[in-house]
Amino acid sequence: MFFLNKEMAGKFAAGVALLLCGTGVAFAEGETLFSNWAVSVAPGPTAGQLWVYSRGEVNQGVVLLNLNLNASGKITAGKSQVEPVDNEFSAVHYQTYADKLAERRRFPMEVAGNLGVVLPMFGLDEDDHFTEPRGFFSLKESGSVPTPLDVPPSAESIESPMDYAVSGFAYSEKAKTLYAARGRLGIVEYEISKGAGNPQIAEKILNKKSHQWEKLPSAGSVDFSKYLDVFDLELNSEMGELWIASSEGLWMQSASGSIASASKALEKERVTGVWIGGKPLQAIVETSALNKGVSTGGLWRKVLGTKDDFKKVAFLDSVGTAQKKDIYDNADYTVTGVAFLGDKAYVGVWVAGGSVSGYLLLDSKGVRTHGQGTESTDPWLHGFETGVTDRDAIITSITEFPLNAKTMGLAVATDGNGISVSADSGKTWTPVLNRAKLGGNLGSVRMVPSVITAGGESLVSYKVGKDSKITIEVFSYDMRKVRKIVSGAPRLADESRSTNAKEDFWDGMDDAGRPCTMGIYYVRVKDNHGHVGWGKVMSLGGGR
Amino acid sequence: MMKISEFGIRNSELLAIVCLVLIFSTMAAAGVVEKKAALGGFDGFVERMGAGTRELGRGNTGSADTSAMPGAYWNPAILGFRQNLNYTLNGEKRDLDRTGGSLGIESSVGKRMGIGFAMLYRGDMDFKVIDDDDQTLGTATPFFSMMYLGFSYRATRRDAFGISLSMSYDNMDIAEYYEDENIDLNDGYTSPVSLNLGWLRQWNEKWSTSVVIRNLSFSKNLSSRWTKTVSSDNSVPSTEGVRPKVLQIGAGYRSKVMGKPVYAWMEALDYQLADTLLVFDTHWHLWTARVGFECEIITDGTIRTGMDDRNFMVGLGYKFRIPIAKKKYLFDVNYALTYESEADLWNPLSFGLRGYIP
Repeated sequence: MFFLNKEMAGKFAAGVALLLCGTGVAFAEGETLFSNWAVSVAPGPTAGQLWVYSRGEVNQGVVLLNLNLNASGKITAGKSQVEPVDNEFSAVHYQTYADKLAERRRFPMEVAGNLGVVLPMFGLDEDDHFTEPRGFFSLKESGSVPTPLDVPPSAESIESPMDYAVSGFAYSEKAKTLYAARGRLGIVEYEISKGAGNPQIAEKILNKKSHQWEKLPSAGSVDFSKYLDVFDLELNSEMGELWIASSEGLWMQSASGSIASASKALEKERVTGVWIGGKPLQAIVETSALNKGVSTGGLWRKVLGTKDDFKKVAFLDSVGTAQKKDIYDNADYTVTGVAFLGDKAYVGVWVAGGSVSGYLLLDSKGVRTHGQGTESTDPWLHGFETGVTDRDAIITSITEFPLNAKTMGLAVATDGNGISVSADSGKTWTPVLNRAKLGGNLGSVRMVPSVITAGGESLVSYKVGKDSKITIEVFSYDMRKVRKIVSGAPRLADESRSTNAKEDFWDGMDDAGRPCTMGIYYVRVKDNHGHVGWGKVMSLGGGR
Repeated sequence: MMKISEFGIRNSELLAIVCLVLIFSTMAAAGVVEKKAALGGFDGFVERMGAGTRELGRGNTGSADTSAMPGAYWNPAILGFRQNLNYTLNGEKRDLDRTGGSLGIESSVGKRMGIGFAMLYRGDMDFKVIDDDDQTLGTATPFFSMMYLGFSYRATRRDAFGISLSMSYDNMDIAEYYEDENIDLNDGYTSPVSLNLGWLRQWNEKWSTSVVIRNLSFSKNLSSRWTKTVSSDNSVPSTEGVRPKVLQIGAGYRSKVMGKPVYAWMEALDYQLADTLLVFDTHWHLWTARVGFECEIITDGTIRTGMDDRNFMVGLGYKFRIPIAKKKYLFDVNYALTYESEADLWNPLSFGLRGYIP
């Protein structure tokens, strides 16, 4: 995790602000990422830049990451700009992973002009859990700025405060307005044409019958059953349209302000997310509902500019035949985000609870299989087993972003393994994460983390100066060998780390597959050039 | 007619020593090549690593030696041979920041009984607590300790039987680094009390043998079970286990070579890993062996060497006799060097002091 050191604090105090490409965001130079528990990724203000919101075990913050793509296709991370976020609020609510509703299981992050980067804001309850929706917060030159949104007295009739949590954003550069979806309380228009410090705020709810916006009364009672819940918003900047995902259908507000249904097929559906992009321009929609404890959902798509209505996305087998069942028939999936590259869409998804995650590759025909997974793996899901991440970490967010003037990149955030970036449309991925500096030629070996329980994973982090064959063994305190992890495994010289994260880890087990008892264990890394390094790890046992 | 070798040992005795060494070495090798389980994966390394620099220098052998200390650890029957108030204090620093030590105090009770206390300690002075973000949160100094309280009764001039009660206390020293994560970790763990039984027979001036059975209890199967509650809020699962029952058979032989006293010590250890009263399936057993030799090359000066499993040791010892208030006090100062061959680590810093108050 990241701690604001004295030097950085001094930088903030002195107001040494580096204006970043018109966003007005001034960050201190810091580590690669704020934390390896990355939550959201979004395109940065210029090519090669990427916003990453991450939340460590103690602190949280946003990083503007500078990525370089060299001639050989290798991606490296340069110095990043780091902005910590006040620990009094968070963009991640307490039940994000386990929430029963899809719209609450994702992490929206929007770049909103002079506001900087905006994220939902949750405050602490009496039990010190982030369960109270407070509006949103933004990051700009003065640091993180909370923007609490008013909750009218009528909201007391709403069953749970989470029913009016911010679950989606859209920003219109032309109108200088940020739109925030607030579930039962409709939307908030946050106009900053007169400056970020002088916003004009309008709170609106969408009438089910008239399909017109009405001002959210600041006093008196409101029968919210007469209004639509708004779960997500998306701006079609080409047409100036605001798309509205609601509890009953998908709606579209034209540039003139008129509102109409965007899809007859979706009129009865609970639309929880909408994303627009790609060439040709297309809209992808997620529907998700919970009826008597049973969740149902689906992915829908429409190519904009055509008369065709939204259709459910086909899930194809290896020869391109549409299957009767899709991923939503197997589990309660949520779309975490959609990245568009040309005519392909990369739809980030995860299962409630976070046990399965990845992205779906969607082309004009449907979702393609990757053909690389085991029988237990969803054939459409790209993730750890297809090389998107080098450790089995939950993929929490996905975005496209310009890596340089010629190349569009893809980035995914992961829960525990930083981010992964691809410069070749997802064929290969490069992990980018916080790594402590290591001594060369096995000069230092770090076990990350150094305290595990049996069945956990501690990464053996080391660096070799030239290509080597590595042997890694685990010893008990009395120097009896309990486990051989790899023997003579080829590893490449690397300026940062030579570890192969798929193999070089200890899970707290001995060679017989039994959990080692609680205690300290010593990990020896040897190369074939005579170098030896030692690391230490503590197992808390378990698993017996 | 017995033939005498040039070292002053009867050929039959020499043959017996060679045979015993071969047998014990074979048992050690059997333990080494056994791949069914790794001994290091089981708890009790504090117990396995022995106690006492003198005994360490000769391969961690001591159960068949009436002079081994602390007796409550090595073989509680030893306490039946005590005649004075004895003490021992040992300390060592091994590679990779490992520290260890032991202390013992024991005394005769009447003419036929003895009592003794022992404490063993092992720790790591520099354990870096690193989180998932590859950040070093701080340094912990976890330690593991075992305490023994032993009693012995010398039934005959040659035989003594003993019992010791043992319990462990471990402290991981990491809880403070997880307080901000709302994980309420427990640092300290105290084990239930285990029973250890011992018998030592001094057959004659040359031979002694011992049998020690470790880690029994009054619970089912006489197994010494433990549960470690890792966190008080159940955020981390508890861990439970059974200390392996240990059968430790030792033998000692004393003679002279070229007029110098020489000693040979041997021990075979069987670890029964199953939670049953007795199991004869070899799959559930692990064997290791220890051998050690020492020679008093000068008066009160001893050199030692030995092998414990695949670790090699050499040791030195010298006895100082210092008169204090008309009495002569013995100070037995010892040194040991250990080579942990599996890990290829040399440990040159083991020192010990023992003696008695006349």
